[in-house]
Amino acid sequence: MPELTTELRKNIEQLLTDQVVDVVIAFKKADAPLRPQPAFFRNLEELEDLEYNGLCQNNLANYLTRYPHDTKIGIVVRGCESRSVNALIVEKQHPRENLYMIGIPCQGILDIRKIIKKTGEDVTGYSEDGDQVSVVYEGKEVNLQRSDLLHDSCLRCAHPNPVNADVLLGEPLPDGDPTIVRLAIEEFEALDRDERYAWFQKEAERCIRCYACREACPMCYCTECFVDHATPRWTESDISQAGTQAWHIIRAFHQAGRCTSCGACERACPMDIKMTYLTDKLNNDMLEVYQFETGMDDNTQPPFASFNLDDKNRFVI
Amino acid sequence: MMYILEKKNVDQTLSEWSAKYEVYTPQKVEAYSQFLPFTESSELALNEPLNTRYPPKSLFLPQSEVMLKYNKRLNKFDEIKILPEKRIIFGIRPCDASAITLLDTVFDTDEYQDPYWTERRENTILVGLGCSEPPSTCFCTTVGYGPFNQDGLDALMTELDDVYVVEILSDKGQKLFSNFPASSKDQEQSVLNIQLKAKDLMEPAFETENLKQTLDQLFESDYWSEIAESCLGCGICTFLCPTCFCFDIVDEVQRNERIRNWDTCMFRIYSQEASGHNPRPTRAERTRQRLMHKYSYWLDHIDKIGCTGCGRCVRHCPVGLDIRAMLRAASNFEREVVNVG
Repeated sequence: MPELTTELRKNIEQLLTDQVVDVVIAFKKADAPLRPQPAFFRNLEELEDLEYNGLCQNNLANYLTRYPHDTKIGIVVRGCESRSVNALIVEKQHPRENLYMIGIPCQGILDIRKIIKKTGEDVTGYSEDGDQVSVVYEGKEVNLQRSDLLHDSCLRCAHPNPVNADVLLGEPLPDGDPTIVRLAIEEFEALDRDERYAWFQKEAERCIRCYACREACPMCYCTECFVDHATPRWTESDISQAGTQAWHIIRAFHQAGRCTSCGACERACPMDIKMTYLTDKLNNDMLEVYQFETGMDDNTQPPFASFNLDDKNRFVI
Repeated sequence: MMYILEKKNVDQTLSEWSAKYEVYTPQKVEAYSQFLPFTESSELALNEPLNTRYPPKSLFLPQSEVMLKYNKRLNKFDEIKILPEKRIIFGIRPCDASAITLLDTVFDTDEYQDPYWTERRENTILVGLGCSEPPSTCFCTTVGYGPFNQDGLDALMTELDDVYVVEILSDKGQKLFSNFPASSKDQEQSVLNIQLKAKDLMEPAFETENLKQTLDQLFESDYWSEIAESCLGCGICTFLCPTCFCFDIVDEVQRNERIRNWDTCMFRIYSQEASGHNPRPTRAERTRQRLMHKYSYWLDHIDKIGCTGCGRCVRHCPVGLDIRAMLRAASNFEREVVNVG
């Protein structure tokens, strides 16, 4: 990955020097080697801290909606991120002409928790080369297989290549196997009603309502989220069964046709709650019922947001 | 006075205590640990290298607590009686116990006593477990505490081979352990060595001298928008924090209940006013509130830092923001300003 970081740095340097963009959203090194941070580059000196590797956890498209529409934004995008950016363009959150997408075909994000489980928390060094990941723990080098550490969402990734990127760094990768994408959904669908509810309960009810899943999600950009609405209140405010279940189910439904299965919600959750089984199921329904996949272009409205007078059905809903 | 609790007897001891007390211990949940009531089938997680993810402050200040119920038809209120069982919290880390003493200065003052808090405090025995090998994300010694700090504890255990050596710190602790075998002089010396060694392992994470003044001077500066630029604005750092105590009282009208929920200054709606105005409109002001509260306002009130260095916010920030790095940046930021000016 160091070569890729160097190439990325050169690319961003050029964009800033030529004033193609005002800011570039990427990642930078942090004190803790396992925790590269989202970063916002506006001048060349800062670029020394630029970092790109499999540990970059966040979906950077999340930050797009913080800028005025006339800001020219450069953004580093992997497959899922590029599709989130496209979905945001469709939802008119930033004009395409003021975006420059630096695409990286993605080999998958590593789950920090899977690494720590194999080593221990105090990792002092990290490097990766192809399928080999090497971490330094208690002064000793520990070699791990990349494929053992991938985040669950990345194991199921169908589209690792950025869509509509302005430039692509690295060679495109083969698309993911759609049958693998379906495995987790089929596992959930195979359960009977009571088992599905028990699964949902076990996950949803650990929730502490910190809303990290919402804040980590590029598509959750509402100024006022339904749970924050106080007059009248639309859901119970507490961590009761009703409160946490309502949050998880309604959050998922708001993602139908908008989620790109990036898994940033699960990676952000402090209570290790699984939630992509809900959104992945909805995404799969969108594909089967409407032949729609989020973010595969930057002009197709998601089925639940589109409307036309010639609709073959009598009612929109 | 020190006593011995053999590791192989821990389950049996907790089981015996359970007859008279509600016993809470750290237990495995998914890939983390959390304080839960002890039962015969509990999978104890006493020797985890990391503290429980969810903070034990919740045993005194539950995240959601029903304060009263009302009956609209009869126009009648039912106050909820707090009848806390006698409790033992076994294996609480010193950072979390000292955090509870900080919260005493909020919920139990000469002027105001919160009955929900004080009754639980009175009826609870805290048996601590010191940290022989503090993780790198912990920084208790920097903020004036330590891996074997005794604040708030009734007894403190130090792990020594096959036993826990128990130091008695209060009458409640003495009563609980008086029937246990006493430790030997050698064991006591070993405990002292372990405790000193653990403290020495911890490097200072940031400068605390003049930190308050530094932050106060930065109040109107760009420092806050710089450090908060990647902040997501979620509630992880504050909800997992053992010293954050903000709450919001809500009437759940459909259930006819008045509830007290944890709240957090990191949420937009925390400071949203009914007029529509928000005095902390961006994540920069909210981050400022979080840091200033811990490292400035607490000092105004009780002359202590409102952080015990447990490291949860460092470990669990989804964008890798590290409060230690932020505070180091504060000191450097000031120097830059001074140099320029």
